[in-house]
Amino acid sequence: MKKLWPTLKKAWEFIILFHRGAFVDKRMAVVRKEAFDINDNLMLLLFGDFLGIPNPMSYYMLELLPYVADDMESWERRIQNRKFIIAEKAAQYDFD
Amino acid sequence: MRRFSFFGGKGGTGKTSCAAAYALSLSRRGVRTLVVSTDPAHSLSDAFGKQIGCEAVRLSDSLHGLEIDAAVEAKKYMELIQKKTLDLVSAAIVDEIKRQIEIAYMSPGAEEAAIFDKFVELMESAGTDYDAIVFDTAPTGHTLRLLTLPEILGVWIDQLIEKRKKAMHLMKMASRYDAYLADKIKEDPILETLTARKEKFEVARDFLTDASLTAFFFVMNAERLSILETARAVELLTKHGISIGGVVINKVIPQDAGAFFDKRRVSQEGCLADIRARFSQLKLVELPLLETDVQGLEQLDVMASTLSSLDETKD
Repeated sequence: MKKLWPTLKKAWEFIILFHRGAFVDKRMAVVRKEAFDINDNLMLLLFGDFLGIPNPMSYYMLELLPYVADDMESWERRIQNRKFIIAEKAAQYDFD
Repeated sequence: MRRFSFFGGKGGTGKTSCAAAYALSLSRRGVRTLVVSTDPAHSLSDAFGKQIGCEAVRLSDSLHGLEIDAAVEAKKYMELIQKKTLDLVSAAIVDEIKRQIEIAYMSPGAEEAAIFDKFVELMESAGTDYDAIVFDTAPTGHTLRLLTLPEILGVWIDQLIEKRKKAMHLMKMASRYDAYLADKIKEDPILETLTARKEKFEVARDFLTDASLTAFFFVMNAERLSILETARAVELLTKHGISIGGVVINKVIPQDAGAFFDKRRVSQEGCLADIRARFSQLKLVELPLLETDVQGLEQLDVMASTLSSLDETKD
């Protein structure tokens, strides 16, 4: 009886981890990816003029620059390297 | 008297002189007045015959003048951003960012936006230092864009806020099992900044569309082109909810102008009749063509006495 409690606890932890690995992480990765994709698109709306797309209020968007400065370079690389939108979208849904 | 008066119209009709004279007439009545030029090509200094800069200058008793310098305002704004960036990220990234700031500085609309910012700042400050602000605006097209800016950009910024909210919502979902992400989205400066900007537009819009605070006065000459443009502008401003305070018909040739002007006066009479018909619901004030250019306080005073009737309600 004394040994049963820790074993149960361990089993419960195992179940949680298994559940997370099998279901949650994968799904959350999709959500996370979607969130970052939307953010990348938002950045395109905010700072499109850096890529040559005119923006009616690029002047006002400058005040956001300090907060996204860290991510700026990688965003530019990401957005300029987009090749296949369909492949990108398909990668979100794993079919296994 | 409204707190904010705008003087606009076609180029060369005498906007600056009228704005200056009207401001003078207000100050003569003891109202603390600021006259501001938003035209990138300033001529307020010339009207008063005194150097006016981007800081308020005293022109006479309870009258101050100011010319908004877009370049100076934009520079101040950019320096503020650079400083903020330095506080948040490393110096290496700041160098990278500088390039982007330069691009935005050169982009079309930057000057306009800088003028608009200053303009909102002045409107917000009214009531403490000044009782009334008279704006001498740029020729019609530029001004209409400036005044309709808050409405147009308000819609755009709404979209951005919505998008950011959606991204944040998804991130929140994902961050339930992700401590790093949860920490990152605790507060969102981007959403805050966008919302603050949106509120600023709304304040400007509220000021501009409040008929008890703001009125737009058109200055025109008794000429066909001038009438047509004013008619269009009146229509557009009304559509955007900005109230029209009245129309000043400037440079009206007087009866005793002499033989040379007789022929012109005939066509002018036609134009005046047209103006009275078109703008019948608005307050009309006529100013005669003067013998010399208007410069200095004394000559402005002559115009001021006529222009003060703009404040009387139309009967």
